[in-house]
Amino acid sequence: MQLTGAQIIMECLLEQGVDTVFGYPGGAVLNIYDALYEYRNKINHIRTAHEQGAAHAADGYARSTGKTGVCIATSGPGATNLVTGIATAYMDSVPMVAITGNVSCDLLGLDSFQEVDITGITMPVTKHNYLVKNIEDLADTIRKAFLIAGTGRKGPVLVDIPKDVTAQKYEYTPQPPLPAPRGDFPWAERFEQALEMLRTSERPFIYTGGGVIAAEAYGELKKFAELLDAPVSSSLMCQGGYDQTGPRYIGMLGMHGTNTAALAIKNCDLLIAVGTRFSDRVLCNANLFARHCPIIQIEIDTAEFNKNIDVDLKMKGDAREILAHLNGMLSQRQHKLWMEEIAEWKALYPLVQESTSEEEVLPQEVLETLDRLTDSEAILVTEVGQHQMWTAQFYRFRTPRHFVSSGGLGTMGFGLGAAIGAQVANPGKRVINIAGDGSFHMNCNELSTAAQYNIPVIELVFNNQVLGMVRQWQKLFYGGRFSQTTLDRTTNYEMLAQAFGVKAFTISRRSEIEPVLKQALALREPVLINCHINPDVNVLPMVPAGGSVENPILEM
Amino acid sequence: MNHDNDKEYVLSVLARNNPGVLLRIAGLFSRRCYNILSIVAAQTENTEYSRILIVVSGDDRIVRQVDKQVSKLVDIKEVTVLNREEAVVREHLLLKVERNLQNSEKLVEIANVFHAGILNVQPDSMIMELTGDANTINSFIELYNPYNVLKILRTGAMAMMK
Ligand SMILES: Cc1ncc(C[n+]2csc(CCOP(=O)(O)OP(=O)(O)O)c2C)c(N)n1
Repeated sequence: MQLTGAQIIMECLLEQGVDTVFGYPGGAVLNIYDALYEYRNKINHIRTAHEQGAAHAADGYARSTGKTGVCIATSGPGATNLVTGIATAYMDSVPMVAITGNVSCDLLGLDSFQEVDITGITMPVTKHNYLVKNIEDLADTIRKAFLIAGTGRKGPVLVDIPKDVTAQKYEYTPQPPLPAPRGDFPWAERFEQALEMLRTSERPFIYTGGGVIAAEAYGELKKFAELLDAPVSSSLMCQGGYDQTGPRYIGMLGMHGTNTAALAIKNCDLLIAVGTRFSDRVLCNANLFARHCPIIQIEIDTAEFNKNIDVDLKMKGDAREILAHLNGMLSQRQHKLWMEEIAEWKALYPLVQESTSEEEVLPQEVLETLDRLTDSEAILVTEVGQHQMWTAQFYRFRTPRHFVSSGGLGTMGFGLGAAIGAQVANPGKRVINIAGDGSFHMNCNELSTAAQYNIPVIELVFNNQVLGMVRQWQKLFYGGRFSQTTLDRTTNYEMLAQAFGVKAFTISRRSEIEPVLKQALALREPVLINCHINPDVNVLPMVPAGGSVENPILEM
Repeated sequence: MNHDNDKEYVLSVLARNNPGVLLRIAGLFSRRCYNILSIVAAQTENTEYSRILIVVSGDDRIVRQVDKQVSKLVDIKEVTVLNREEAVVREHLLLKVERNLQNSEKLVEIANVFHAGILNVQPDSMIMELTGDANTINSFIELYNPYNVLKILRTGAMAMMK
């Protein structure tokens, strides 16, 4: 079948099971958009307000489904607008394929209008990228891009296609998606060693990262935790990788982790780390992390072994396969004393925070109410800041892919785009973007996208009039010199939302929390809630910079 | 970082001959703050592949990280870390030195001691060529230093396991 390059792109997307793409048109992708028009009954295209929003939407789509997200942008400024979104996906190992147009091959390298070396620019923030100069290579390159994005340690792949390549005709032969290459599996003796360590441990501690979700390992993780009779903690990226309503879950570990998790890491005699890269936000001071116990690390990316800390037993491979194998070997263990101790700490250091005055709305209480009203079943997306940490702390994620947040890059402006992607991918679910007012101002343009397509996301803005998280650091480490963190924007949030065609609500008193949330949840259209909170609420516990994760500040 | 334990290692990287592959490797080094002492790249006996030799200095742990990070790149087929002691390491030098009637014999004499080639002789200059390990090349240069060295070109190290 002779097809144009643009049509070949469409066919290849269909081969990969892509039903939705996010993007923005332009000169260099005119042919691609013409093909999108032709294929509009098979491929749904959402045009965001900004290419960054499109990349974040593809990311939110991917994180909430496990499928590879796709975004499209034109050459030059369109392509560079994707970069923050691509870097965000890269840092959190999210499978994504970004397709960019470029100027025709004969204009490449001449500083032509809207030409930019996007493969050069994105090299450090993609798992791999391609510039397709020959139509013969187009189909296979797109197939390879999906394979690379979605296998091993997942990540974004960029495919840059000059305009003439999308116009040329070439023979297209359909092909099923390429099979994933077999990954590594640890040697039998590694399992023997692991088993020995698990058998002799009296106070084991399971620490989980985003890899658990990427590998869909939660079923095996649950079994493993029960067989081992151990408490489970997680990084920010593993919210919902383990049922947080269960008694074994002891909260996050790291800079804003719970005191129970801090005490557990201090007192455990074996740490089993699954699918985590030991980021500096978790280790805090690497020299003071888990000093007194051996560590088993289960990880698909060899480069993560001994990168940030040394571990005692490395098990390279897919987390689900490795846990399944361990589960098959491990007989039921019992750690009654240890689990009782854990339960005592949990009771002693709960995260609850309730307001005592009608005048003060506490974000923690709003999130707990939201948790109750949605049965812990909504997809919560966040921006970056205090609100992000409160969300991870106070919403009880029971299942994976329900927490969508930029962990590694910490991208303000991520949330609303990602929420749109997550909602499009999960039309039956409630998707709520938890935003700070600073982050909201970075991407509020995407409210227009939600309105136009009637994508029923709830944009919940915790309006504290400040850049809360940075201000908290200034409070702690800069003697309260609030340099540029007091926003005091004159924005009228309700009117702004309405101007975009979005319904708006306000929460400014405690008694309004529940009725407003209920009203918003009852609607099936995009909604903004302007929730006024006090600028002086802190995220606690907190491990100060350079401190030991074992000694968080509990009050300030 | 403790530099006392720093040693030199030669990474021998077999990479697919795709555009930008050298940039990917070099970019990875700069992004992760690994210092490249020298880098040499060329096609292998199989035109689909390039062999890239990178000399880095660092402790054992850093070198292992470099190895793993480079191995992760999609275009990389194989990475071997060669310890300087276990490998034959060679560099190539071109040296141009000022020549006059008084010193010309002396210049040739030094070249002969090192079995260096004389590539070009002009009335006022001379170009020499030498292949050898870094020490040999260093002492060669040192011996010419008193005669006004005009230009030095030196490749990075090539290395092959013994
Ligand atoms: C794009 C970007 N710029 C700057 C930062 C640095 N930063 C981290 S948190 C934060 C404050 C966030 O303020 P806001 O969105 O109002 O949330 P809050 O902390 O008040 O909940 C800033 C500026 C960032 N993470 N991302």
